[in-house]
This record gives sequence, structure tokens and C-alpha cells, in this order.
Amino acid sequence: MSPNPSPLTWFQQFGIDEDTLKIVLAEATAQGADDAELYFEHSLSTAVGLSDGVVDRAHTSIDLGMGVRVVVGDQVGYAYTEDLSKDRLLRAARTARAIAHTGHGHGPIAIELNKSRPDFYPVNRSWSDVELSVRVPMIRDWEQRAFAKSDLIEKVQVSMGDADKYVLIARADGTVIADYRPMTFANVTATAKRGEVRESGSYNVAARHDLSYYDPDRQERMVDRAVNYALRALDAEAAPAGEMPVVLAAGSAGVLLHEAIGHGMEADFNRKNISIYASKMGQPVANEHVTVVDDATLAHARGSINVDDEGSPVERTVLVERGVLRSYLHDRISARHYGVNPTGSGRRESFRHPIMPRMRSTYMEPGPHDPEEIVKSVKKGIYCEVFGNGAVQIGAGDFSFYVRHGQLIEDGKLTTPIKDVNLIGNGPDVLEAIQMVGNDLVIDEGGWTCGKDGQGVPVSQGMPTVLVGNLSVGGSKS
Amino acid sequence: MTVQYEDLQPLAERVMKRALELGATEASVATSRGSHVTIQRRERQTEQATEATTQGLVLAITKGDRYTSNSTSDLRPKALDSFIQRCVQTADYIEPDEYRRLPDLDQCGRGISEAALDQDDPAWGRRTATERTDHCAQVEEAILALDLPERISTTAYVADGRSEAVQVLSNGFSDRTAGAFFTVGGQTTVAESDKRPEAGAYYAARHLGDLPDPDLIAADVAERVRRRLGSSPTASGQYSMLVENRMAGRILSILSGPMAGSALHHGRSCLNGRLDTKIASDVLTITDDPTIPRGLGSRPWDGSCLVAKPRTMIENGVLKNYHIGLYYSRKLGVQPTGGGRSNWVVKPGDRSFEDIAKELPKAILVTGFLGGNSNSTTGDFSFGIQGLLLENGEVVQSLSEMNVAGNLLTILDNLVEVANDPWTWSTVRSPAMHFANVQFSGRES
Repeated sequence: MSPNPSPLTWFQQFGIDEDTLKIVLAEATAQGADDAELYFEHSLSTAVGLSDGVVDRAHTSIDLGMGVRVVVGDQVGYAYTEDLSKDRLLRAARTARAIAHTGHGHGPIAIELNKSRPDFYPVNRSWSDVELSVRVPMIRDWEQRAFAKSDLIEKVQVSMGDADKYVLIARADGTVIADYRPMTFANVTATAKRGEVRESGSYNVAARHDLSYYDPDRQERMVDRAVNYALRALDAEAAPAGEMPVVLAAGSAGVLLHEAIGHGMEADFNRKNISIYASKMGQPVANEHVTVVDDATLAHARGSINVDDEGSPVERTVLVERGVLRSYLHDRISARHYGVNPTGSGRRESFRHPIMPRMRSTYMEPGPHDPEEIVKSVKKGIYCEVFGNGAVQIGAGDFSFYVRHGQLIEDGKLTTPIKDVNLIGNGPDVLEAIQMVGNDLVIDEGGWTCGKDGQGVPVSQGMPTVLVGNLSVGGSKS
Repeated sequence: MTVQYEDLQPLAERVMKRALELGATEASVATSRGSHVTIQRRERQTEQATEATTQGLVLAITKGDRYTSNSTSDLRPKALDSFIQRCVQTADYIEPDEYRRLPDLDQCGRGISEAALDQDDPAWGRRTATERTDHCAQVEEAILALDLPERISTTAYVADGRSEAVQVLSNGFSDRTAGAFFTVGGQTTVAESDKRPEAGAYYAARHLGDLPDPDLIAADVAERVRRRLGSSPTASGQYSMLVENRMAGRILSILSGPMAGSALHHGRSCLNGRLDTKIASDVLTITDDPTIPRGLGSRPWDGSCLVAKPRTMIENGVLKNYHIGLYYSRKLGVQPTGGGRSNWVVKPGDRSFEDIAKELPKAILVTGFLGGNSNSTTGDFSFGIQGLLLENGEVVQSLSEMNVAGNLLTILDNLVEVANDPWTWSTVRSPAMHFANVQFSGRES
């Protein structure tokens, strides 16, 4: 059972009742509007960290506020307040509506409560009910296990954080929807030293889940991989430079999809005609083995949402189906523009931020190829296993992503470890260059955050093993 | 509307007093309020307008050397009291860490007066909604007036805000800050076969009157878009690298990680043990100066309320200081040197960028970065770039889909010359730079 409150229950403690919603919505739409909503948010976060053998810090955070949006055509007025007193809510509503002077009028607003919907992240216990005394021995255990794995481990840092976020969305059509969004995050960083050479390795996990997420296998994997990455880096060589075949390991290589096509499929960029994919809908953009999905419904995934941040139902959206471009990611503004249903992709970092179309969990469906055969098919190239940050230019389609750990491929075999290399390419060109798709899709369990226009939202990504025939590798070895 | 200080100070003092009553040994409280406005225009209408007032409180305590830091935006009296109780109780679960104690009072204070810092432009309080919209429209019209072929979309934006904060420590320190900011910028996308190259320019200042005129912003946007037309990679290899002044901060940012006290303490710094040794060529001198009037990174004290003062970080290539805050200074047994970068000022050279460029038979001018990262433990870096291929200062090709890679210490040693054109719209005030023998990857030659 989820500690999922009825739409109004949680926010009643802040004086938010049905009458308040009606009055503030009426104020927001008093000059007419095509759309409007109130978004209330209350989050309680805790983080605890260990370094130098001491659980030496804890951070707690409470965030409370309301954002109000008034939409007229493509124009958006937005205001927010951290003070939920009625006069402040009304002032915010008047500020947001200042942009609205040509929209359609709204009549009296009737509030419709308790719409039933699926729950993609049911939990038995909220994080607020978990004492710090439970977390502290867990991170202490991870630290000790890391040291036990190798005498070369010199330092270990561990952190664990979580949040209970409650949101309440009241729409101008009277719909009121609430969602409870749990989140947990943990990271292990190990530093290894051999002679005078030091290297670090990190591994992190994140999910919309409760304490049961940390099963024995996951805890062991976190520690083992952090240590393994640090030790492997001690033996790593500089990566080569230039164009070459690149095999992306299953899992966090989904960052390639996120940058090469995901952002370009966000419909605000296409509505403005500034995405490289703006004129490619219905056209082939990749080979037939490539199907790319952005999915809000994966159980407990960091990127999952039960409802989007403007109150729309969510779905599994197919962006590319067997190589053909099928759908953008829509919020309500872009859906109205294109005359389609929203895809439940309207998201925001918090009540302080306006809504935009955003990704949720982006991944490639498995293909027909055996991962081992994919590696064997490469005479000389690189195998990329652990990924960091990425970036994209929406219009030009150029994107890049950072590889923290990988290996050289020589005559179809994995040989020398490499590390710290940036890869760069052009989205449509790289999609076309995907030659083989493995049958081993892995949704990465890492704590990914997507940035857009200064807003960060939690996302997930996944990938089967994939061969990109040609990609520019930014190594320092000429 | 101007938010007043009056209620921030007593609020901070009340919270500190309550935390101490509940058992905290030491407490640090920061209270803040702010307002900000953003206007964005496209297709000659306001596309988005955002306005907000904000408030917040941060409470850090030690309880017998057990440390917690906590923040809240819920300032209702009952909620605040529950918050304080929770903070103090949380400390019971943490292990003692004596290095977290507050600084001595005589270490705390201002490095520069509020008046001299000059961050609180009175023009902010006088600015009307119409003036903001007009300013944004002027920038948009100035960009639209310039001749750009196949223009698809132009966006202009202005933003401004003002915040006030009070800091109170249980060691007796108490002070306040106030500051405004103003930003303006624009972006244009043009059509070029299948692609839609885009470019933009962005300026920030503490005083409204210091922002550039709309015509200058428009010319900047247009020039940067034109540079993106017809871009492609050139052959992989070693090149002379010129980095535009406004982009030099990205290269210098590789230094920030290994210079940090946390990286030094945790063995993740390639600069460990390099103090007073040569880490760069003679031409590099960097000062960290938090006292620059109207500086975007200026501040009266650092994150632990220690007096902020200018420090030479690198002098003629010799590493003179790290960025070590109070906590890690105690762990490392050294004097604190400021917890992080404020304004980095790179000493300019004598010659113009153009004079430097025209002497180079072939060079890559980096005008933008796309992703990439660096490793503070080893100094290795790899960044995506866009730019121009120059021959004797003349543009011969627009570049994209290329990476630059190397090691921090190697590239700093290969710094040949610094130009005389510092970019002042950033917390890194750097001129353009010329590096020799830098590895780029692009297409196969």
C-alpha cells in the first residue's frame, strides 16, 4: 500500500481546501485563459554521508510552495509562492494571469476529486518513517565492505539520500489530482592507490522506492562496482582519438538516446521548428532494429511518474518504431498545437519552475543480436561501459556524452581498459550508423538527472548492447 | 517592491536561540528573501513571463560535535519549531566530527563594505513591468533587424531579481547582504539543409546600466549564428588552440576540482603537493578576488563567514594557493583560503586576439563547448567543441563534431600567450588564450 493521500488530505495541514482551490483558480482565470493549473508541492528530504570512517553529516530539507500557470495560446504567465496563505496564493494567481488578456473565459469552477489511476511506485513505508538509525549502519556497512575488497583501496565515501514528495494539481477544468513521489539515492566512491597513482570509481543507484529497494544483491553490486572501477582505472590507458566503431554496453548507454534523439523529440522544440527532427515525423531515421521508447510507467524507475506535472495521464510513448519517427513528447500546449493528446510529458523541477515537455525513462527495445557477436564483429574500436554526462544542440543535432570507463576492442576481443573520454556525433547520423542491436536490454539503475533550461528532473535510461559503426572518439592518444 | 531586512534578522536570532535551547552546542542560521522576474519573447509577443517572491531558512548546528545542516521554505511558526526540533534530534544519530565547529569570531567578518561591493542597484526597485517587456522587445527587434538568411526562430529574454540575506552565528557574528542581478540575451535558429544551427549570447550584470545595448547583443547573436553555418569536423591531429575569451573559463574550470580542499583531502587531486611549484607556463597568473565592485562572484565572506579577501592562485605559472574552506583546512592542518572560487581574474597579456591569431599558420579557435568532463584525480579531460579553423587569422572552415582532449598540467604548460581582451560578463574574467600542440579528434585524415 502506498502512503498516497487523497487529493486534499495532505495539503489540508497547510490550509488548502476545496474552497481555496476554487477561489485561487477563479482568480487565475478571471481575465480568461485557454488553460491554467495550480501545482502545490511539499517535499521532505534527508541525506546522510560518511567519509574518513565517520558518519559525519546529515542534511534535511523541507520545501513547500505553489506554482500557478495561466496559458493563453502559446503564451504562459507563471508565478509561485512559498507562502501558502490565501492572500499570497491570490497574489500569485493575479501575477500569472497578467499575461492573459485574449483567452477564453472560464465559468465557475467545479472541483472533481479522487480520480483513480495506476500507481507505478507503490511502497509500504514512506521515507519519513525510516529513522536515521536505520540508514547509518547501512552506509557504514558499505564502507567496510569496500575496504575489505582490496588492500589498494585508500579512501571510501558513501552517501544515501531520500525524499517524500507530495504534489497536488488543481486544473482549470476542475480536476484535482494528487501524487506521492518517493525517491531514494545512494552512492559509493572508492579511491585506489598503487604506488603514487590514485584513481577513483563511483557507483550510484536511485529509484522511486522504499527501504526494501536495498536488497542484498543491490548493496553488493554498489560496493563491488565502485571498487572495481577504481582498480580498473589504475591499469587504464589513454583512449584513442578519431573516428572508429563504438560498442555501447547495455545499460547507461541510454545517455546516447537521451541526447541523440530524446531532447530533439520534445515537442516544444518542434512546435517552434528549431529541432533537427522537426520535419522528420513519419520518416525513417534509423535501421529497422531500432525502436526507441520514452516510458513513464516502468515500475519504481527514477524517471516514472503516475501523473505528469500538469495533471495529464502518463503513458509509454514510442518515439521511433522500427526505425521510423512516430511521436514527439507532448505537454498540453504542444498537444493543442499539434491536435493530439498529451503524452504525459509535462514536467517541472519544482513549483518554482514552469512546465516543459521532458523525458521520463528513455530506452531502446532489444534487437536480434547476441552481445558477444557484436563485440566480435569489431576489428578495431572501443567498448564503452560506464557513462557520465551528455549534452546536445537541438537544432544542429550535434551531441556528446562522456565515457568514464571502457575497453579497447582489438580483433573482436576486449583488451586494455580506457577511461575519461568524450564521444561526439550528430543525432540523425548516429542513429543511421547503429548497425547491430543486442537482445540484452538493461534499464540502468543510476541516479540520472536531465537538465533543460535550468531545470533538472529525475530520469531513467536504458539500452541493449549496440554497435555504432562510426563515432568520433575524443581520446588523447593520436 | 523592496523586501525589508527587519523581519529577517529577528527571525534568524529566534531560530538560533531556540536551537540552542533545544540542546545545540553551536548554531548558524541564514534567512533570505528574494524576488525575481523573467520575460521571454518570441515572434513579437511575450511567450513566457515568470514572477515570484521567495523565502528560505538554513539552520546548521553542532551538538557535541555532531553536525547537521537543514533548510526549509515553510516559515509558519509552528512548522518552524517542529523543523528546529527535528534538526537537533537528527544530530543524535551522527558521529562526532570536531572539524565541523564554527570558526572563532575574530576570523569572521566582511572583506569589503556593502557600499564598496556595490551589488544592490537601486534601479531594480524602480523597474516596471512595462520597462522589462520593452527592454526584451528591443533586444528581439534588434536581432530581427539584422540580415540572417533562412531565420527560423528568434528568442529574446530579460531577467532580474534582488535578494536579501541575514547570517547569524552563535559565536556572535551577525551581518547581512543584499544584491540585485540583471541578465539579458537572445538566441536565433536558422535553416541549413536538414540542420537548424542555433547560437545565442547572454550577458549578466549587478547593475542594470552595465548591460550592453540591444544592438550590441543582436550583433553578437548574429555573428555567432553565422559562424555555425556549414560546420563539419576537420582532420584529427595536433593543432594550435585558440580559446575565445568568454569560453576560456571552461578550460580553466578543470582547475577548480583539483584545487578544492575536498579533492586534496580525499586524494582526488592531481595538484596535491604542487603548492609553490610550476604547474603552468609563465604567462598564466590568476587571482581569486571576491572584492571586485559589482563583480558577479563577489561576496563579503566565504561559506563559513570567514573574511573574504583577494588571493593569488597562480603567479607566473606557479601554484600559490588552493581553495580550502574552513572544514578541510582543519582536516589538512593548513590555513583556510576561501571555500571556493569567487571571481577569477586572469592577468591579460599585451597583444590583441587578432594579432596572436594572424601569426598562426593553422589553428583551431574554440567558440563553444559541448559536453565533456575532466578527472580531478589525474587531470585528464575530454570536451566536445565547436569552433573555427583559422589560417593566419582568416576563417577557412566552421567546425563541429570534434573533441579536444589532454591533461590539465600538459595543456597549462603549453599555454603560449594570453590576449588583452578579458571577458567581464562572467565570474571568470579571462582573455582569449593560445595553447600549442593540443590533440583534437574529428574526421579521419
